[in-house]
Amino acid sequence: MAGAYSEAIQDLIDALGRLPGVGPKSAQRIAFHLLKVDVDEANRLARAIVRAKERVRFCSVCFNLGEHELCEICSDVKRDDHVICVVEEPRDVVAIERTHEFRGRYHVLQGAIDHLQGVGPDQLRIRELIARVTAGGITEVIICTNPNLEGEATALYLSKVLDVPGVTISRLSSGLPVGGDLEYADELTLGRALEGRRVITGD
Amino acid sequence: MLIRRLWLRDFRSYGELDLSFTDGTCVILGPNGVGKSNLLEAIGYAAQLDSFRSAPIDAMIRRGADSAVVRAQLDRNGREALVEAEINRSGRNRVLLNRQRLARTSDLTDVVLVTAFAPTDLELIKGGPGLRRSLIDGLVVSMDSRNEPVKAGFERSLRQRNALLKQVRGRLDTSASATLDVWDHQLADSGERLSVLRQGLIDDLTPLVTKAYRDIAGYEAEVVLHYASSWRERGLKESLVASREDDLRRGVTLVGPHRDDVTISLGDMPARTHASQGEQRTLALALRVAGHRLLAGIHGSSPILLLDDVFSELDDNRAEALLASLPDGQRILTTATEPPSTVHTNQLLMVAEGTITERTL
Ligand SMILES: [Zn+2]
Repeated sequence: MAGAYSEAIQDLIDALGRLPGVGPKSAQRIAFHLLKVDVDEANRLARAIVRAKERVRFCSVCFNLGEHELCEICSDVKRDDHVICVVEEPRDVVAIERTHEFRGRYHVLQGAIDHLQGVGPDQLRIRELIARVTAGGITEVIICTNPNLEGEATALYLSKVLDVPGVTISRLSSGLPVGGDLEYADELTLGRALEGRRVITGD
Repeated sequence: MLIRRLWLRDFRSYGELDLSFTDGTCVILGPNGVGKSNLLEAIGYAAQLDSFRSAPIDAMIRRGADSAVVRAQLDRNGREALVEAEINRSGRNRVLLNRQRLARTSDLTDVVLVTAFAPTDLELIKGGPGLRRSLIDGLVVSMDSRNEPVKAGFERSLRQRNALLKQVRGRLDTSASATLDVWDHQLADSGERLSVLRQGLIDDLTPLVTKAYRDIAGYEAEVVLHYASSWRERGLKESLVASREDDLRRGVTLVGPHRDDVTISLGDMPARTHASQGEQRTLALALRVAGHRLLAGIHGSSPILLLDDVFSELDDNRAEALLASLPDGQRILTTATEPPSTVHTNQLLMVAEGTITERTL
């Protein structure tokens, strides 16, 4: 394959190929598409990436994505402070917000326990979650990690370490497709799973 | 179950290939080393996404190519299905079922099953426990595709626990210790369920093995399959706790279903050490035949039979008895010499260096 394309093209293909879900063939297709469109459109994409990288950051409380110190949900005074919904990724916040079933706060772990990827509890935002819960004022933590092996293991781990008096720990009910991702569940199913959550520990 | 057509691209010795199969018995005839077995391997791959010769992925891709493609047109009780598998050197394999991305491997089990007889099957009796475990686990999944998540969940939990054991290097802080508790729980849960499935399968299979042995050997002999497991009495959860210190020192999980065995005895004696070579060979065939009959009975339709060079090691009597013992269905077999005269051949394919020609019968 070496020498098939000029260096600039190959660099672009390689960079695209490192994106999640983009295989070598798709990387090639996207690269050639970008080279074909006019300069303005390519620049718009490049600027969008740079701008998002400059402006967007992780919320200092819940680690969701936002443009300020606090994300939009953490700075919304109308939301319920007593309930925290724990998710793996910012995209899961979006999925749960779409159901309109949840009015509390979030905590984004930034992943799930997965030793095969070198991710243990210390690589996730679990210490920060424990601090939030033990600081008081929280009555329920709803664990909404993905219904797959790593998500379940993470939920089990959290239910052990979040054993704080007066705090109920609950888990999304089954009914979600097992082995799947939260983001692929439709709003209705996810809303029902949230409503029918089961208590793991607490009163 | 039938395979009607097979297309290959850059699969082992084949650059391009398009081959149609008829129902009944197809004999693939040709000298050794010209790629007869590769055809059976490709059919097996379309059904199981794995080589029944336990070949590494790389070995299935033609030298100089980046990927191999196997496409198979299948038919199960009149329902057609197209399986398309792309095998990549990079390891990212793609599988389409009826042009849709395959969601779970078990979806394939609902479309097609194969039983493969390989020349190395003698190892089922003589070799280590790994082959016997994969025979049993393969049947557990083929019997009911809903069992696949149990097996997959166990295997993934085990890999996760082993990865954790390696990463902590013998030192357990509180968070690692709590994480290990979590994986013990997950592993015990799926491991216990897997062992129940294995035990049930072994109970169902044992009388069928005895019967198949009699059919092939021509005489009565009692075959007993016993599920040998060091942890079942105590329970997996407790066994993992008891083994934790050793596991931490060695960086690997030392107890569990992945260490189990199925011991096989013939007339009260362990077959691995006490049976003659001829008895062992018959026993290996009987295991495959029994599994095949079990699946045919459960699904009401015989899996596709792949017989890779099994006649070279059998005398004509036993070869005939073997074929007579198999339920009706599609059989695809390879041989370097003319098959026994009693084999009713519906299709004859002649393989020479890289080319296949169909000889009219
Ligand atoms: Zn926030």
